[in-house]
Amino acid sequence: MDLSQASALAFYILSTLFANSFVIIFVITVVLAALDFWVVKNVSGRILVGLRWWNEINEQGESIWRFECLDQESLARINQKDSMLFWWTLYLNAVAWGIFGIFSMVRLEVDYLLVVAVCFSLAIANIIGFTKCRKDARNKIQAFASRTIASRFSSTLQSAFSLV
Amino acid sequence: MSNSHSDTVPLHPSSQSDIDEIENLINASVQSGPATVLPARPPSPPRASIPVSSTPFIQSQIPPPPPQSSSSNQKVPTVAAAPPPPPPYVGNSSSIAATGFGPAPNTLTEPVWDTVKRDLSRIVSNLKLVVFPNPYREDPGKALRDWDLWGPFFFIVFLGLTLSWSASVKKSEVFAVAFALLAAGAVILTLNVLLLGGHIIFFQSLSLLGYCLFPLDIGALICMLKDNVIVKIVVVSVTLAWSSWAAYPFMSSAVNPRRKALALYPVFLMYVSVGFLIIAIN
Repeated sequence: MDLSQASALAFYILSTLFANSFVIIFVITVVLAALDFWVVKNVSGRILVGLRWWNEINEQGESIWRFECLDQESLARINQKDSMLFWWTLYLNAVAWGIFGIFSMVRLEVDYLLVVAVCFSLAIANIIGFTKCRKDARNKIQAFASRTIASRFSSTLQSAFSLV
Repeated sequence: MSNSHSDTVPLHPSSQSDIDEIENLINASVQSGPATVLPARPPSPPRASIPVSSTPFIQSQIPPPPPQSSSSNQKVPTVAAAPPPPPPYVGNSSSIAATGFGPAPNTLTEPVWDTVKRDLSRIVSNLKLVVFPNPYREDPGKALRDWDLWGPFFFIVFLGLTLSWSASVKKSEVFAVAFALLAAGAVILTLNVLLLGGHIIFFQSLSLLGYCLFPLDIGALICMLKDNVIVKIVVVSVTLAWSSWAAYPFMSSAVNPRRKALALYPVFLMYVSVGFLIIAIN
């Protein structure tokens, strides 16, 4: 999670120590960034904050974003520190790639700009997906809470009337 | 009067009314259910699909108290009706839900492995749907429904690597040019279709164009191994025709019939230019 993002960044920084050829640097960095994207999306999102998002296309050919979150009890059990760690590393990752992008633009290295652009877009995609998912989860919890209150209220009313 | 037949509530304007009823039920429970979302997937495809990995969430929902019993009863049978998650998954994922978020790594690897397997099988099935002849080609919207970008990513990188290996000088530039050309080309082609008023989803089209590179990948590999010009020309033309044939139904069905050529010509052009790259590398 944190480690995979750090490995992509670290490889990019230390790349000249490892390989002379740009091709190898490009491929390994992008592969690491793609693996990290997958790990964050599927594994650490599920473990640390209990969120998952993906996209589907339905019968009519429209694309739907699907969001999944844990239910109320498990959400309450999420460690606050884990959640902080998750979101902070997500944002820091994007910011770091953004800074590298600025560096390579300043140095006019278009090749490296390509690498950074790919990694940056992957980071942004994850951020957008998880933010949407979290908002959706909050809405659902609110709706669920209001519906539960309403249903409990009506069931207490019913039990009160049946007692009488 | 004459409309008495249409007074009955139309179930769904399709012939598969049972499956659509079940799907509507799933959709209704999705909209009315509590915090978990069930993917509304019709129970036809024989894939280990999303419900498999969402079992942690469903499992933790079953213990909650009786006031929800009506909604959970509604949900549990529909979950069973949807592609049923195989029992071992339920067992493993309940251990994750039960132990909270400090599970030992070995209980975590199993569901992750399932996710990996699912993604890999999706790549393979998408590839087969796009590149090889199959009965779904007439209905492209249904064929590449499970788009994913991993397949195209692998194919583009592989093509770039192959071209780079074949090149004797300027390897880095060749790779960067190939990658940028293919990626930007896919994006521009998709925008082209969208701007022509076509109905296609951005990522679905990117995914499609990436999968259609598979024949060119094979061609580039053969050209790398066998350095004869005649062989190269023959191989590249064959794989080029194969790629264009693979991309044709999806692109042509997405746009207005009068603009079919406008949408297809740039695709063909891009594949021709990649073909020239393959031939010209030495």
